[in-house]
Amino acid sequence: MPQRRWWPATRRREPTPAELFGHADRLRRTGHDGEAAELVLQGLRLDPISTTGHLLAAYLHAARRSIEPARREFRWVLERDASHPRALLGLARLALEDGDVDSCREALVRALRAYPDFPEAQALLDGLAERRPAPPPPGRTRLDRLRLPASARALFVVAGDGVMIAARPETAREEGYRLARAAGLAATALQRAGFGRLRRGIVADADDLHFLRTDVTLTLAVTLPRTTHITQGLLEVNRLWAAAQHELAVAKDEVVQATAAAGTRRVS
Amino acid sequence: MSRLRLGLEMDGSSRGRQVRDVVQALARATAVRGALLVAADGFVIAAEVRGGVAIEPLAALAATLGRDLEMGATRLGHGAFQTALFSADDGTLFLAASRIGFVVALADSQGNVQAVRSALEEAVNAIDSSWAPSEPAASAT
Repeated sequence: MPQRRWWPATRRREPTPAELFGHADRLRRTGHDGEAAELVLQGLRLDPISTTGHLLAAYLHAARRSIEPARREFRWVLERDASHPRALLGLARLALEDGDVDSCREALVRALRAYPDFPEAQALLDGLAERRPAPPPPGRTRLDRLRLPASARALFVVAGDGVMIAARPETAREEGYRLARAAGLAATALQRAGFGRLRRGIVADADDLHFLRTDVTLTLAVTLPRTTHITQGLLEVNRLWAAAQHELAVAKDEVVQATAAAGTRRVS
Repeated sequence: MSRLRLGLEMDGSSRGRQVRDVVQALARATAVRGALLVAADGFVIAAEVRGGVAIEPLAALAATLGRDLEMGATRLGHGAFQTALFSADDGTLFLAASRIGFVVALADSQGNVQAVRSALEEAVNAIDSSWAPSEPAASAT
């Protein structure tokens, strides 16, 4: 009997959108964003209304730091599923990048309301711990007396409740809030890692070094040129920290004495 | 559907392995308790952390912190964000920007800060050199 030497060619099955998205997700998990993006595009051509596909597209945009396209994709998902936790987390992170802490917090709260067991959302919310509005502490004018090193570019003192009590120059307040927010996130990360309370930080940009000291009542940061030696920067921030603590303590005493004197006058 | 700019990586699996090796090497450096590579969207690309630390929340915080510093530095005209360290009573968190995400090292408080910074810098250089940008292969809608 003659042996069959060939078989009719079978058509190779095209991958389904779900398979494409699954493969794209695996690639993304290993940092292969380019290949993942190619597969997501293929998948979305086949299934343009796939939530998974749009969510993956959003992640890939975010990973490539393309904020607006990422935001559009997260919103696309939320228009179809208003409490999608991953899309809410994604939008929350983008809101924070814009400095919109309230929108960030709102999205995280929405995500946690729908899915209370969502560790990433809870961690971020902890990092943005609610800061209760409070009157500025006395002594903000006294902080103007702090002697900055000649090379210093900026100084910020932020109270534990989030109120900026000193910013030099005044135009650099946004930077102070940014560093205070970063300190809040870092403090939560350190606690999650079991390291305890945040004490100090150094942030290096291409042009500057920001030296930071903090405790529950105060965050102080001084910005020095990038060429500053780390030891010198630490000495400066420690000196300013001690001086700021002293000025605030003196200011507090003055308020107490003034209040007592006013009380004595009223009695007499 | 929005536009995704694509840069195909031809030897992706070997680079992925290399990145994991880099993270493992960083985690083994003296005084380092753990290391992570986190994409800018908070996704964990590689992690080697000891001591029962929950990785996902830590990664979410690290990526958010890194992006916040990165965006702030750019917006405020300080040039690109490079590295940060935050120290607490019992340890220090180091963070550095790389081409594919943020490299995080968790170190003992007794450790030599300069040695850990050098190890972190080496890790970033290794990742950046293995993930040098390729020409965009396609752009689609």
